[in-house]
Amino acid sequence: MMEDTRIGLYVCWCGTNIAKMVDVEQVAKELGDLPNVVLSKTYKYMCSDPGQDMIIQDIQENNLNRVVVAACSPRIHELTFRRALANAGLNPYMFQMANIREQVSWVHTDREEATKKAKSLIAGAISRVAYHEALEKRTVEIDPATLILGGGIAGMSAALEIADAGKQVYLVEKKAQLGGQLLQVDLTFPFMYSAQQLRQMIIEKVVQHPNIQVFNNQVVEEVNGYIGNFSTQIKNGKKKETELKFGNVIVATGLKAFDPQGIEAYAYGKFPNVITSLEFEKMLLKGKIQTKEGKVPKNIAIIHCVGSRNKDYHEYCSRTCCMTALKFANQLKSAIPDSNVYELYADMRSFGKGCEELYTKTSTKGVTFLMFDQQDKLPEVIKAGKNDGCEMLIQMDEKLSGEEVEIPADLIVLMVGMEAHEDAKKTGHSVGISLCGNSFYIEKHPKLDPVATTTDGVYIVGNCQGPKDIPDSICQAKAAAARILGTINKKQVEIEVTTAFANEELCCGCQTCVQVCPYTALSYEEEKNISVVNEALCKGCGTCGSACPCGAISSRHFTDKQILSQIEGLMEMILQEEISEN
Amino acid sequence: MSFNPKIVSFLCNWCSYTGADLAGTSRMKYASNIRIIRVMCSGRVEPTFVLKAFQQGADGVLICGCHPGDCHYHEGNYNCLRRFKLMQKFIDQMGIEKDRMKLKWISASEGKDFAKLVDQFTEEIREFGPCKVKEIVETLS
Ligand code: FES
Repeated sequence: MMEDTRIGLYVCWCGTNIAKMVDVEQVAKELGDLPNVVLSKTYKYMCSDPGQDMIIQDIQENNLNRVVVAACSPRIHELTFRRALANAGLNPYMFQMANIREQVSWVHTDREEATKKAKSLIAGAISRVAYHEALEKRTVEIDPATLILGGGIAGMSAALEIADAGKQVYLVEKKAQLGGQLLQVDLTFPFMYSAQQLRQMIIEKVVQHPNIQVFNNQVVEEVNGYIGNFSTQIKNGKKKETELKFGNVIVATGLKAFDPQGIEAYAYGKFPNVITSLEFEKMLLKGKIQTKEGKVPKNIAIIHCVGSRNKDYHEYCSRTCCMTALKFANQLKSAIPDSNVYELYADMRSFGKGCEELYTKTSTKGVTFLMFDQQDKLPEVIKAGKNDGCEMLIQMDEKLSGEEVEIPADLIVLMVGMEAHEDAKKTGHSVGISLCGNSFYIEKHPKLDPVATTTDGVYIVGNCQGPKDIPDSICQAKAAAARILGTINKKQVEIEVTTAFANEELCCGCQTCVQVCPYTALSYEEEKNISVVNEALCKGCGTCGSACPCGAISSRHFTDKQILSQIEGLMEMILQEEISEN
Repeated sequence: MSFNPKIVSFLCNWCSYTGADLAGTSRMKYASNIRIIRVMCSGRVEPTFVLKAFQQGADGVLICGCHPGDCHYHEGNYNCLRRFKLMQKFIDQMGIEKDRMKLKWISASEGKDFAKLVDQFTEEIREFGPCKVKEIVETLS
C-alpha cells in the first residue's frame, strides 16, 4: 500500500493567530523534507476559498493522494477540508489535520517551543496519513417522524412547524398540561401580550393537528438508534407500551426557577411578604395584588438578579428577569397608582426589540431605581421598627449615590434567576447529548451551529440550551424544525463510516467485544464461533477493538496502525530535535 | 541540558478534546510538553498505544475521557478505567513507575482544569526524571 504515497502538507497562518507564535515557514520547509511529502506550503487562511482551491489544484496537478493541513482544531474545519478533497476527486478520508492553533499557538508563549511542538504534531499527522484508507459513504433512509421532548412554547412551536409541513410529530410532555413556563406568566414583556392567550392559541393548534400526537405525563427513558432511525418505548395510557420510531429528536425541556432560600440577606421563607417573581405572577394572574395579610401593599420593592450573575450561585445572566421586573413595575403602577415601587437592580439589561423603550417608559412613571453591587454587599431585608409604618426595611449601599439607604417595603418581589432542571443530565443521557458547565445542553458549535448537538439528528431548542425569552425560543424551535425538514426532504442521510470491522480469521470467539459494546452492534455467530459487527448499529467508539485479545477487531479511521504510526511520527520528531540540539 | 519531559496524551473526541480546545479558545497557557492524539472515546485506548508511547521515548502518558456517566458511548470510559488499572500494573512490572500514566476525566467545559492538569502532570513527570524504558526493553529482549 505504501508504494507511491504522495502527501501534500499545508500549514495555515490563521492570520496572525498561528503565525505569531509558530514559525510557519520554517515548519513547512523542514517537514517538506519528510518521506512521502511531495509539496509543502503555507497560506494565510487555509479554510478560505482560495486556500481550499489551492489544495484542489495541487491534488489534480501533482497527483497528491494524501493531504495534511496544520491549522485549527479538526472539530472546526475537518469537514471543510474533507469536502475539498472530495471536490478534487480524492477520497475525503485521505486527510489528517494537525491542531496547531488551539493546542499550540493559543496556549503557549515561547515561540521556539511552540514551533517545535507544531513540528512534532504535524510529523505525527504525516506519518499517520500514510496509513489512511479510502472509506465509502454509508447512507440510510430517514424516518420522517420527529420526537419532541417538552411541550413548552419551544417544543410546541417546533411541532407545529414540522407538522404543518405534513410530517408526523410525537410531542412528549412530562406534566399533565402543555405550556411549560408560559403557564405561570400573566403578561409578556415588552409589549404586554397575554401569555395565556398566546398559550391558548398555540395549544389549540397543537392538539387539533392531525400530524401531532401528544403524550402528557410521560418521560422518555431511553432513545435508541441513530439519525434517521431512532426508537423509544412510551407508556401509552395505563400499562400498554408503544414503540415510537422517528428520524430526528428535538429536546425542548426548558428550565426551572432558582430557589432563593439559600440567600440569607433576602430572608425568603422568613418573612411571608418576601415572594418570588413566579409567586407574584400568580397574583397577577388572579388579578389580586395583596400581602399575606390581605392588605393592598403601599411600598413594593423588586430585587433583581436573585441567584444570577453572582459567583456564589450562577455566574450567568438569566436574561429575562430585568424586563419582567420592569413589566411588574408597570403592572403595579396601573393596578395601585399611588404605590411606591422600587427597582433594586445590579445592572439593567434591556437588550432586544422594544426593551430599552420599556425601560425608558418605566422610568417616567415615578418608579425609583436603586443600584446595588451584586458582587459586594447584597441589599438586606430586615424587620421594620414599630414607627416605620411598614413591615420590612431593605438596607442597601446605593452604588450611584454612594449612600446607605433604607427602603420601606410591604411586599418584596425577588426576581429569581433560571437554572437547569435536576434531571437535565438524565434526559441528556437518554438522547446522547452533554451539558455545559451550567448544566444547560451544549450545542454543536456555539456560534456556527447553535441548535444542533454533537449527536446527529438531535437538536436543542429553547431554555434547555440557556435562558432566553419567548421570541428567541421560538426562533430556535423553528430553526431546528427547518433543519429537520431539510434532512427529511433528502430522504437519506450519510452516517458514520468510521465503524468497527472484524477479521474472521483472527477472531477466537471469546465474545469479549459482545460484552463491552454499548449498542449491541456485536453479536456472536455460534456456527462459525466468531463475532460479527452490525455496522448500522455501530457508532465507532472503538471500545470493542481495544478489548479484543486477538486483535481481530479494528475501528475504521482509528486503526492500530494509524494511531501507532502517529505516535511514532511525533515522537521521532521530538527525539530528532533533541539530538540536533545537543 | 535540563530534562524536558515528553508527554503523549490520548483525549476522547467528545469531552476531553473539546475541553482542550476550550483551553485554547480561552487562551489559557500551559506547559508545551504534551502531544495530544485524538481518539473517539477513551475506551479506544489500548495497551499497545501506551506501550508504544513509552517505547518511543515518552516519559509520561496522559489519558482523558468524559466524566463517569457522560461518555458519548455510554460506558467507554468505564472500560478505559478498568483497562487503565491493568495497564498500570503491567508497566509497573516492566519497571516503569506506574504513575507515569494518568487517567483523568475532563468535560467539554473544563478547559481550565485541563490546562491545570497538564501543568501538574508535567511537573510530576519532571520529578520522575527521564523514563528508562529503552534500557528496560533492551534487557528484556
Ligand atoms: S466519549 Fe469521552 S470517554 Fe467515551
